[in-house]
Amino acid sequence: MKSYLLSPDKLLDFVKKLARDGSLYYPALEDGKTHLVKFDEKNPFTPNFQKIRTAENIKHFFFPSRGTVARFPKDEVKPVSKSYLLGVKNCDLRGIDVYDRVFIGWEPVDPFYKERREKVLVISADCPEPEDSCFCNLLGLNPYGEGISDLNMSEVSNGILFEPLTKRGEELVATHKELFVEAKEEDAKERSALRDKASKKLSSINTKQFKKDLSARVESTDKKRIRDARDECVECHACLHGCPTCYCFLLGDYKKGDNVERVRLWDACYYAAYARVGGGANPRSRLDERFWNRFQCKFDFFNKYENIYACSGCGRCLLGCSAKIDIREILWNL
Amino acid sequence: MEPINPYYPIPVKIKKIIPETPNITTFILDGMPISFEAGQFAELTIPSIGEAPFTPSSSPYDDDLEFTIMKVGRVTDALFNLKEGDLVGVRGPFGKPYPLHDFKGKEVFIVGGGVGFAPLRSLFLALLHDIKAYKKIYIRYGARTPKDIVYKHLIPGWQKIKGVDLLLTVDVGDDSWQGRVGVVTVILDEIPVDVKTSPTVVCGPPLMMKFTTQKLVEVGFKHENIYLSMEKNMSCGLGKCNHCRVGKYYVCKDGPVLTWQDVKDIEEPFL
Repeated sequence: MKSYLLSPDKLLDFVKKLARDGSLYYPALEDGKTHLVKFDEKNPFTPNFQKIRTAENIKHFFFPSRGTVARFPKDEVKPVSKSYLLGVKNCDLRGIDVYDRVFIGWEPVDPFYKERREKVLVISADCPEPEDSCFCNLLGLNPYGEGISDLNMSEVSNGILFEPLTKRGEELVATHKELFVEAKEEDAKERSALRDKASKKLSSINTKQFKKDLSARVESTDKKRIRDARDECVECHACLHGCPTCYCFLLGDYKKGDNVERVRLWDACYYAAYARVGGGANPRSRLDERFWNRFQCKFDFFNKYENIYACSGCGRCLLGCSAKIDIREILWNL
Repeated sequence: MEPINPYYPIPVKIKKIIPETPNITTFILDGMPISFEAGQFAELTIPSIGEAPFTPSSSPYDDDLEFTIMKVGRVTDALFNLKEGDLVGVRGPFGKPYPLHDFKGKEVFIVGGGVGFAPLRSLFLALLHDIKAYKKIYIRYGARTPKDIVYKHLIPGWQKIKGVDLLLTVDVGDDSWQGRVGVVTVILDEIPVDVKTSPTVVCGPPLMMKFTTQKLVEVGFKHENIYLSMEKNMSCGLGKCNHCRVGKYYVCKDGPVLTWQDVKDIEEPFL
């Protein structure tokens, strides 16, 4: 697809124009990590698109950790406003891919996710400097936006290369065409070279691939091999709440005045009561069963159901783990 | 048209409350807020407490929606404190119905345990609605004691229907009990149907499900003809929250009735 070049000194103009249409969030560096911060014309604009994905995943924007989904008896749920996410990495796009399948991929469509998906525009960015915790390459992903996002940006010597990936992305460039010039072949070549370099770095970080029949191996493995790793697990749930592809939730009802508010809350399958039924039976009362379930869900079940792994290789689980459990080690050893 | 909010429960009043056993009660709602087929389930909301999944016990063709429910946890505790005229909420229907078109012309063998007879009653009433389409309906129902039998007032009438063969058993009898004694698998020693072609439908507590299924497999029912009601923790009912996932299924979306063929490779499928 055609790419467009934006001069670095025009990035702020582009951002200002987008921010007039909705809230805009961009990655900014703080204490060695990037965080998505809200653009405010009054504050300095200091984006960082070189660093890996932000410390926090982006699922809040599409599927908030706590969100009202119904009021009872009279149903009234406030609409959300438009926003832009700038500089999202491909590992987080895999999260959106998983959510798209679960929330709008089959009937009934989740109207709240659908609304956010329509109102949150995603501009992804290449990921030129993978770090030791990254393993998107082991899940078949590349370190740049390949779809899902509306527009992808790549920093090259002559400026920032924008490639529309959806019709919405094309419209975004067309609306602001006065800021862009058509990219040249040399820009595309430089981008390819930078992408190759990033891919090579990923290969050097992760010298072993996961086995091709990972799904079958998870299903048929001696569960003890996965369960042994849980001896270290302290059930902090950081791996699940930090995960961009985990989509478990729980509905809770709360009294608010004369109404009851139905709230959707993030849930996590490591919680002991997660699968317990009213009568008390619990298919996963033991931690080792819950630990294995996480692998079964991500690498066997979701692959069978939707033909992709519910894992993006973002590495948040292993960096967040209190016990320093590295999911790669477990999967390599299957 | 406004999109339907699948999380919104339709408000409906409780029309009648019928105690069935010391801890099982039938709640008849005022009207039919959802259009369901036998085997599908609904989420029942108790305002400001929460919701839980139940399969209706009434016929899909009835004017009022009924649920026969056992008091076992937080939501059902609150439900049992409600009175006739109080408001509840209903979301649904969810999941897939029994494939009744595949049952036509065949003997249907139904096995229930305890409150598991509630969803089977809905199936039974749906079969009765078109009884001539089925060769014969067999019901084998086991309860813990005579006091724990649900639909005591209805069973004698059902037993008189031509084309219906209904046997009861209790684990432990009492002075008033003249019927069979023994767990439900005991009355499965004599299975009068053609096991090679007949569908069989099972619903009950986990242990009953386990041993009944073993028995049905043993006597020769085809694995794909053994229909099992899977009890799982369900929050959304829409195949999205992931709570009910078992093996390669979301029980709320792909079930709640799965066949033995579907679940036999799952470690402890009934837990």
